[in-house]
Amino acid sequence: MEQKTVIRFSNVSKVYYLYKSNKQRLLGTLFGHKKCKQKRAVDRLSFEIKQGEAIAFLGRNGAGKSTILKMITGVAFPTAGDVFVDGRVGALLELSAGFDPEFTGRENIYLKGHILGLHQSEIAALEPAIIEFADLGDYLDQPVRTYSSGMKARLGFSINVNIQPDILIVDEALSVGDEEFKKKCITRINQLINHHGITLMFVTHSISLAKAFCKRGIVMNNGRAMYDGPIEEAILRYNALIVKT
Amino acid sequence: MLSVCKRILRDHTHNLSQILKLAKADLVKTYRGAALGWSWAVIKPCVTLFTYWFALSFGFRSNTPITVGDNTYAFFLWLVLGITPWFYMNDMLVAGTESIRKYKYLVTKMKFPVSVIPTFVSVSKLMVNLVLLLVVMILFWASGHAPTLYWVQLPVYIGFSFAFFTLWAQFASLLAAISQDFLNLVKAFITPLFWLSGIIWRADTLHEHPLIQWFLRLNPVTYLVNGFRNCMIFERWFFETPLETGIFMGWLVLLWILSLWAYKRLRKDIPDVL
Repeated sequence: MEQKTVIRFSNVSKVYYLYKSNKQRLLGTLFGHKKCKQKRAVDRLSFEIKQGEAIAFLGRNGAGKSTILKMITGVAFPTAGDVFVDGRVGALLELSAGFDPEFTGRENIYLKGHILGLHQSEIAALEPAIIEFADLGDYLDQPVRTYSSGMKARLGFSINVNIQPDILIVDEALSVGDEEFKKKCITRINQLINHHGITLMFVTHSISLAKAFCKRGIVMNNGRAMYDGPIEEAILRYNALIVKT
Repeated sequence: MLSVCKRILRDHTHNLSQILKLAKADLVKTYRGAALGWSWAVIKPCVTLFTYWFALSFGFRSNTPITVGDNTYAFFLWLVLGITPWFYMNDMLVAGTESIRKYKYLVTKMKFPVSVIPTFVSVSKLMVNLVLLLVVMILFWASGHAPTLYWVQLPVYIGFSFAFFTLWAQFASLLAAISQDFLNLVKAFITPLFWLSGIIWRADTLHEHPLIQWFLRLNPVTYLVNGFRNCMIFERWFFETPLETGIFMGWLVLLWILSLWAYKRLRKDIPDVL
């Protein structure tokens, strides 16, 4: 069966403008970017992702992996080219799912649900599953600012897998969790991929995690995809890349 | 420009319930974490109000009651009617301008329409102000000034004020997200704005200097504060001051255009900078 395309990058570039000072940034942003260094984080990148695929993005720091995920999530915009995304995106960017630090874990579940446009009753129905999966104990009713990064990742992950996204984006979030939680996540993600047809986009530096649920790997280097294919081969290329430098 | 306008409107209509929920969350957040909680929403303005009243009536000795027709209004009532709307304006100049910075996580961690952020902050601040205005109305009534037909236009001025400062926040919060300097600039001008706009002195009887008169006429804060006083003290309709109302409308249009321009120019850069 031919799966539909859920994500398509057509010749996408993303340039970050690096300014010397705040003042120059203000002037530059308002009246056209001049007098600044340009950092091309993503360089004329094209790829397509079908529904139900699980893709690992491999690459060194600053290779453009996170920027790609941000563009898919819709929190960053391409400087050139076109990004097409079809479906609800659940994203864990930079370890956090966007919590209000002043609110408790429980309140953040509701806040997040409301922001996504869910009704009070729908959230209430999802709440037990989210709480059970996050397994935060007494911390559930403490402000999120008191959480450790592991706890934030647990809650964020739990919310995101339970709101039934079409596309799940996980950026490094699993690396801060403990082994037990990692296992739980892997089981859950595999279940989501196999039974609910969600698409997974995954950034990690952990080869074993990438192998655990991805069949396809994209190796990024300096904003370009230097390899796109089966995960085993991608891992070999990635390892070669690390050794070389 | 037109497409930006459509986009912002659509973001608002599609997120109406989110705006209310987030406004409520903003309120909860502002007043939580203190033992007295919600009462601070009333205590803080009361302290400010009392301070100004004391300084003005005993220090500056400008304690003259205001006589309109057969009615005499205590100076305190006149003062309350200027300062209460100002509380909302002050909130919006600070929190409204800061709104996108403060709600960073809505911009950088999830897909959420940025233009909605200043709006729900504005709604949240307005809620507090509505409660205070209600207290003011009760105060007037209790002092023997029963509601008149002119009170009907209170919602008009509340609407004007809401429109002006929401548009302001739409424009300013984007700029402040890019530049801390802009935020500091705005904060630096809050005190001058308060003292120069006739909130605590009578701008309506200042006729000595045409230049000053024009400055006050062009000043939207003066227009709004005068408006509230026109409703409850001077018994004037808003269409009785067509020039001033016209100028204020001009401000609204200007801010509206500025906010569209800022959105168009800055929307895509904001997540990269925050």
